[in-house]
Amino acid sequence: MGRPPKVQQTLMTMPAEAPARDIARIPLSPDFGWRWAASLIASVAMVFVLAYAVGLAVFVGVGVWGINVPFVWGFDLTNYVWWIGLANGCSLFAAILVLRRHSLRTAINRFAEGLALFAVVCAGVFPIIHLGRPWLFYWMFPYPAEFQVWPQFRSPLTWDFWAIITHLMVTTMLWYVGLIPDLATLRDRARSVAAKRVFAVFALGWRSSIRHWAFHQRAYRLVAIAVIPLVLVIQSTIAFEFAVTLVPDWHETRLPLHFIVSGLESGLALILFAAAALRTSLRLERYIDDEDMDLIGKLLLANALVSAYVYAGEIGVALFADDFAQTAALNRMLGDYASLYWGTIALSVIVPQVLWLRNVRLNDGLSLLVGLAVTAGIWLDRLSLVVAGIQRDYLPSMWRTYSPTAPEWYLFLGSIGLIAALFLLFVRYLPVISMSETRHDEHLESRS
Amino acid sequence: MAKNRALPVDAYIRDRPELAGPHSNANDLRLWRSLEEAGECTKVRRILQAENSAPANPGSFDRRAMLNFMTASLALGGLAGCAVNRQPFGAPLLSQPFRSPQHTPGVPLFFATSLELDGLGRGVLVKSHDGRPVKIEGNPQHPASLGATDVFSQAEVLSLYDPDRSKHPIAGGERRSWTDARQLIAQLRQQFLAKKGRGLRILLQPCASPTRDRLIRLVRQAFPEARWHAYSPLPDDQGRAATRAVFARPLDQVFALDRADVILTLGGDLLGSGPGHVRYAADYADRRRAADRSPPVLYTVETTPSLTGARADRRLAAAPREIEHFARQILIHLEMGAPATPDQLSVARRAAEDLARAGPHALVAAGREQPVTVQAIAHALNSRLGAIGTTVRYIEPLFAGSGEMETLTELASAIAAGDVEALLILGGNPVYDAPTDIEFAKMLGSVPLSIHVGTYRDETGLACRWHLPARHPLESWGDLRAFDGTVGLRQPATVPLIEATTPEELLGELAGEAADARELVQATWRAEWGADFDARWITSLEQGLIEGSGEVTVPVQPGDWSPPPATRSPPAEGQTVVFAPDPSVWDGRFANNAWLQELPKPLSKQVWGNAAFMAPADASALGLRGGDIAVFRHNGRSIEAPVWPLPGHAQNAVTVTLGYGRTAAGKIGNSRGFDAYRLRTSQEPWIIENVDVLSTGRRERLVTTQHHHSMEGRDIVRVVAPGAASASSSVSPPPSFYPDFVYDGNAWGMTIDLDVCLGCNACVIACQAENNVPVVGPEEVARGREMHWLRIDRYYSGHPNSPQTYFQPVPCMHCEKAPCELVCPVNATVHSSEGLNEMTYSRCVGTRTCSNNCPYKVRRFNWFDYSRLPFAATDDVFNPEVTVRWRGIMEKCTYCVQRISATRIAARIENRPIRDGELMTACQQACPTRAIVFGDINDPASLVRKQKQDPRNYALLGELNTQPRTTYLARISDGPSAQGAADAHDDAG
Repeated sequence: MGRPPKVQQTLMTMPAEAPARDIARIPLSPDFGWRWAASLIASVAMVFVLAYAVGLAVFVGVGVWGINVPFVWGFDLTNYVWWIGLANGCSLFAAILVLRRHSLRTAINRFAEGLALFAVVCAGVFPIIHLGRPWLFYWMFPYPAEFQVWPQFRSPLTWDFWAIITHLMVTTMLWYVGLIPDLATLRDRARSVAAKRVFAVFALGWRSSIRHWAFHQRAYRLVAIAVIPLVLVIQSTIAFEFAVTLVPDWHETRLPLHFIVSGLESGLALILFAAAALRTSLRLERYIDDEDMDLIGKLLLANALVSAYVYAGEIGVALFADDFAQTAALNRMLGDYASLYWGTIALSVIVPQVLWLRNVRLNDGLSLLVGLAVTAGIWLDRLSLVVAGIQRDYLPSMWRTYSPTAPEWYLFLGSIGLIAALFLLFVRYLPVISMSETRHDEHLESRS
Repeated sequence: MAKNRALPVDAYIRDRPELAGPHSNANDLRLWRSLEEAGECTKVRRILQAENSAPANPGSFDRRAMLNFMTASLALGGLAGCAVNRQPFGAPLLSQPFRSPQHTPGVPLFFATSLELDGLGRGVLVKSHDGRPVKIEGNPQHPASLGATDVFSQAEVLSLYDPDRSKHPIAGGERRSWTDARQLIAQLRQQFLAKKGRGLRILLQPCASPTRDRLIRLVRQAFPEARWHAYSPLPDDQGRAATRAVFARPLDQVFALDRADVILTLGGDLLGSGPGHVRYAADYADRRRAADRSPPVLYTVETTPSLTGARADRRLAAAPREIEHFARQILIHLEMGAPATPDQLSVARRAAEDLARAGPHALVAAGREQPVTVQAIAHALNSRLGAIGTTVRYIEPLFAGSGEMETLTELASAIAAGDVEALLILGGNPVYDAPTDIEFAKMLGSVPLSIHVGTYRDETGLACRWHLPARHPLESWGDLRAFDGTVGLRQPATVPLIEATTPEELLGELAGEAADARELVQATWRAEWGADFDARWITSLEQGLIEGSGEVTVPVQPGDWSPPPATRSPPAEGQTVVFAPDPSVWDGRFANNAWLQELPKPLSKQVWGNAAFMAPADASALGLRGGDIAVFRHNGRSIEAPVWPLPGHAQNAVTVTLGYGRTAAGKIGNSRGFDAYRLRTSQEPWIIENVDVLSTGRRERLVTTQHHHSMEGRDIVRVVAPGAASASSSVSPPPSFYPDFVYDGNAWGMTIDLDVCLGCNACVIACQAENNVPVVGPEEVARGREMHWLRIDRYYSGHPNSPQTYFQPVPCMHCEKAPCELVCPVNATVHSSEGLNEMTYSRCVGTRTCSNNCPYKVRRFNWFDYSRLPFAATDDVFNPEVTVRWRGIMEKCTYCVQRISATRIAARIENRPIRDGELMTACQQACPTRAIVFGDINDPASLVRKQKQDPRNYALLGELNTQPRTTYLARISDGPSAQGAADAHDDAG
């Protein structure tokens, strides 16, 4: 027995929660309402659209998109960068909750982790299918090939590859470590021997001893701590894909900061959106209560203010940049694609200012809209960077335009359908709040 | 590149006397194209049976022989796959080059031959890989080439394999056999022999071929009452009328630009198109490079911006009438010796003074579209300046050999009068390109028997009763005079891909001569050379030309010609329309050539179509934007054409290019652009005044490869004053984190001299042909996905009415610190030990990051499997030494790495270093002005090293520290010529 008193203390210090018994009723109830079914059907239909778009890219070629030279990247990288930002924002939020042992934790943690994972899944689609020959994506991996060809370790895309792998591993770890007690429960309740054995393997011999709980808490917090630098590193690495190039508007040291700030903002906005959606559709007001919403709203507002600072700084940098960079940056703000830039400013900086009002923060409908607006605004930011950022580079003879094609929209909407479908299935078939936490809370409840 | 020597087919047989059969004598060397054919000769059969019994005569098989044969078949399967065996007749198992004594499989052969354009020859070397012509280079010995080519010769190799070529004789829409066709010709001959040819009409395109001329004379003898007509859509009648006016006889002129100090061109495009332009461009570039003389001054007065105008030191945009006014002013200046206008600064005055100062070293050249008066003034000016004999000489008319020809108009009226029983159209496409007032298509329908011979069943082929497929020039024998009269021989570079005939063979059949084109050519020259024939024939085939055959200079005495008084015709209402051949499809004959269709036109950078060019000021005055479809109406005729405001175009004038709007060109050329011939009449073939221009309100998307035309004040194309210190920027590049590479052996580099680059596109299409660059089609180009490895950027500066035009060819820069290399995650683009930036196709996964990081944007991505899409070329035309790229990978200029390898191998076999100049990239080889120099920058004696030490040498975007291996030599200019053009405008206007 390691330090049971401390663990006990840890558990004891957790604030008492409202009775959580109802949570179990939601995934267990046979009927989930027509809205859920309709949403699921719609989102699964969009997943099919995604499959079609992916099929086009793989079997016909990435030429089905509107990209060209110099716009070699279009929606593919835009979506990727956007989804990674969302995933990072959600992960960071979940990790902070774990570390802070905040009251929000029980309520939002699991679905924040879930969203983070699903966003990574969505993001993971793009780096692979955006390749000209997607079936060879594994060549990024430094495996011992016969000709001893290794990846180019100076390439930001190689760094990015490792960033994605690390991100996937850490996000999965965070999820998995949190799941271990629940997996043990599933093992104990499994009816077939095979299922029992499978769960037994993944439950890692969990016996719910105090010692186990102690280790579990430590591991959980350790992974959560790892998430915090990780998301910063990942957003920076994504930014390096642009900042390391010679493209005048991309070759900027401010870009990593820009990505961290706006990526986390989009993640918080997604959390706000999802929390508001859960509250309205699943009537979980008691578990994601007003104070939680208030807090998320404030966080998002704070982040939007930091974003405003970053955007202001960008204008300042552009005005003092050399000729190439200045032309390029001003073109992004005032040229053919200015609407993207100003859309970003409006949606991700101006709109969140309504969160100054407590009434708005507590209004689920408005929170939903603000969350959606900020998420969309950051998407425009990514598109503005990927497309408008490269429009005015060095040789004017190659100054051209890009416009997306239908398959690119399919890809974008399909990936939204994918995360929606995953999330809808998640809320239906898994407890939105962890079983172990619930039981713990029930203990506390019964004791009190 | 092993054997750079021209190799005539006949040399094979000469070198193996045992192949000459008993019926062969020295004068009757038979070329065999297949084993079957060769087998007719008993000795050959014996040799073949001894060497290779089974394939020649398989006989019946026993089991063991069967197995042996199957094994051999499997082993030889690959070889047979390489052989040309798609002919419907006598398909040989092993095509002839495999069995050629001097042929090593895998090593290309070069055939010297001549290609025709506007009836004149251009000498080329055809590179043939295992029996397949894959690339055309210029013939260094030929005066019209000097080793360089124009875009059309480069593209001929694609036309050879065009799947839309006519394949069978067709009568009344039904496929007929060649037996039927020959019977038809025999009947025709019998029928008209009796009538001495009365009722027989023969329509030809003018062609300066001694053999054809001889055959025409023979047919004339046999059918004295047959009538002959010549028609060319790009006639030079006005030019001959001008010499007749000035010198009292028709003459052709040849320029010597290397001797010219001051050049004045009136219309036309002396350096960019037309007869001899490749040679003229080379001479002009040599003259510019001459270190001991001050640079030549080029004045250009023109309506349509041309390559000559883009290069000119002083350019004046003038409507057609103003050009005549200008020419008269020059003449007055020279005659009076005093200013005729008070405007002391006028271009006319300055030009006249410069011309007078240059005296015999001046040159005045008028375009063929100019009216007789302007062309005659040009002759008179040359004569007055004493230039005749130095910069210009006169030769006998090149097309005179075929005797007097009647016009197409006369043919039409004869048909209308019912005088035509049979019409033989030997080449050309008059149904498409005849002037509208003749209504030739309608006329043709009323001819009882019409026979068309052509490589395509085009508009004329469809309208005629009979159509006979003609051989492609690369499959046929013949001879052609060049612009200066030099005769080049034409020999096949491949076995015929299609069973077809040639106009010469048909004429031979009519004349009753043996119908083998080779024998017809030999007969011409045997008569000429007599006993020397055998020796000279082989030498001439090897060299591709007949030495000393250049037309002798005709001494001329200008008569008392003075220009007719200027007619004070009422000022033109509306616009003046000028017709011009298209820089891509010429008169329409290349409409089905996908390489040419996708070749960005030098100035507009438009592809896959044509447009009506007009001055930007005119366009805005008419309320038209680029792409607006306007209707051009004159005398009840009208065409609809999208408008293209072209900077530098003369005001009050519109240029429409011919050659588009084809309906029966083939799947590449049909329904592209508009047909400008519909506005053209036989009276006004070049210039029509008083044309109404009205907007239709509709728009068309014009496809172009360049959307932005200003350098934005950036240091992209640099211009220095003559003798200026340095063009390289004073900003030192930032330091690099990485150590420099060390090159012990060769280090390849390139310089491109922007002072002599004319923007003619020869390099672009040569690169396409050499490197299997795919054609992607108009939709893909519109999306910005053209694949050319080498593009020519065209920038304007100055006022849109009189801009300065700059060209800059941009291949891969092969940067020493290549930005693309370090961002590729899979190491697919890497640095070679000789400094090339190499692309490993099989390693590429297609992230496209390299393109993002390339500041020059020279990388091209295979968005689709372009080698399988509708615009793809047939496999035959592919250079077997270059990988055909597949979907999803990046590609770019390789500095023709396959040529480097071939040269390196050849040098190692001989145990010597690679010599400077031995190795040429495709773009370099095609360049008429030799603006591109490639070589080893480690070699202190190499030309490219010397060029890089030139003060004019600079690196494009050098401040990025990419350290490009491709550098540019700045353009030399003594001042903004836009200024000169601007103040001159008032003068002419």
